[in-house]
Amino acid sequence: MDDIDFSVSPGEFVIITGKSGAGKTTLGRLLIRDLLPTKGKVVVDGEDLNKIKPKSVSLIRRKVGFVFQDYKIILDKTVGENIAIALEIGGYDKKKITGKITRLLEMVGIPGKEFLFPNQLSGGEIQRAAIARAIACDPPILFADEPTGNLDKDTSIEIFKLLQKINEGGTTVIMATHDVTLIGLNPDRNIHLEKGKIVSDTDGKPGKAEEKHKIKKE
Amino acid sequence: MNTALKNIRRSPFQALSAVFIISLTLFVVGIFTLVTLASHTILLNFETKPQIIAYLKDGHTTDQVAKLISTMTATKGVKNAVYVSKQEALEIYKKSVGNDPVLLGTVTDWGIVTADILPASIEITASDPSAFGTIASILEKSDIVSITPQGKKEIDFPQDVISELTKWTNAIRGAGLVLIIALTVVCILTIMIIISMKISGRRVEIGTLKLLGAQNLYIIKPYITESLIYGLLGAFFGWIFSYIALLYSTPFLAPRLGGVISFPIPFLVNLLLLAGLLVFGLLLSLISSFFAAARFVKRSR
Repeated sequence: MDDIDFSVSPGEFVIITGKSGAGKTTLGRLLIRDLLPTKGKVVVDGEDLNKIKPKSVSLIRRKVGFVFQDYKIILDKTVGENIAIALEIGGYDKKKITGKITRLLEMVGIPGKEFLFPNQLSGGEIQRAAIARAIACDPPILFADEPTGNLDKDTSIEIFKLLQKINEGGTTVIMATHDVTLIGLNPDRNIHLEKGKIVSDTDGKPGKAEEKHKIKKE
Repeated sequence: MNTALKNIRRSPFQALSAVFIISLTLFVVGIFTLVTLASHTILLNFETKPQIIAYLKDGHTTDQVAKLISTMTATKGVKNAVYVSKQEALEIYKKSVGNDPVLLGTVTDWGIVTADILPASIEITASDPSAFGTIASILEKSDIVSITPQGKKEIDFPQDVISELTKWTNAIRGAGLVLIIALTVVCILTIMIIISMKISGRRVEIGTLKLLGAQNLYIIKPYITESLIYGLLGAFFGWIFSYIALLYSTPFLAPRLGGVISFPIPFLVNLLLLAGLLVFGLLLSLISSFFAAARFVKRSR
């Protein structure tokens, strides 16, 4: 990334587009302090990630739900166990975990799949499970890195709509994709990257985002 | 706990070797604890016994004995002097050998041990070890003290036995300590390697957990739990083996040490040993997994 400066308001749905190697994943990794910028600063929820203590990194990561390009679903654990891990990490009440998993799977459109292993699911279903895990602890921010990268067009649209649904609940969604056709599905804002630089940034709709953020707070 | 048990099921041979090495270490610890306790009891027994025993010739008179005892008690540094008759000597002997028919002579050609073949004696306890020389010279001059075939007066100085015994006990304790330290180091290294291998074998999963916001404690907890399970199992098996060894050696030890240590060893002693081994086993496994986890935390920063 080189000389970029932008901010995302709470409740916004931002699509970050660009070719492979444009810096989309790097942006996501900077957001969860998996990488540190060599210059400049990254601020998440008012905290400068350069200045936080190593112990606080885990707390920042809980604020940013992350959907990984390669899913990073633990293969020898069931879908339910994968989500339960995220809930345990987030300090969720253990007695309520089972109920929460059921609700999450219903929300992402794969109800009743909690006892299946990832290799028993289709690509789209795994992606949905990964999204369920990312939003398990109701993080204020969700970063989805190429969530439709390995999916067919119809499933990609379904995943996009799912992310929109999550955003409508007030979660700030940042989606990195190289699939420019998704821009037509009406995100709030599109930032286009090329070789680590921002080449275009469409206007956001602050009013709309504020409204969604209000819903989340309520 | 579930993750720890799953980890154990996934690699049963690693788990087996960890439990085996802890069991072996704690078995040796258990045996040396029992040996140390026994040697301490034996030493205590010797220390509380009369310090000098002078065996008397047959045919001595009570006047001669009374005279020798009064000379002894009048000597500076002598606490008391007691006459032990042949009959009393037989009772002491019987008590010390228990019911062993071989030592009682009931199943040998030597004939039954009777009071006649045992000498009467005078047992002297000194309050000051520096009086040993004076006591010895009085006994040397006495006519009623028996003489060995080599022409020496038959006088026992158990103090020599005590110092010899102390020397041996200390040597055994020292060797035991060295062995225990060596086994403990091997044990810690083995568990550390096993846990480190497990951690590095799941580093992709651990990486994911970190990205999800897991703290180091959450990540290493299953591995520490797994190590504690090894410690618990190892301590239990180590105790079982040492208990079996003790039961197995009881028929051999009882007639030889019966007068000093009461056999069978009370179960409470064994329970205390189990408690000690459990604490030691848990500490061992905790230290080992802590080192393994510390390496992981250092590498994953």
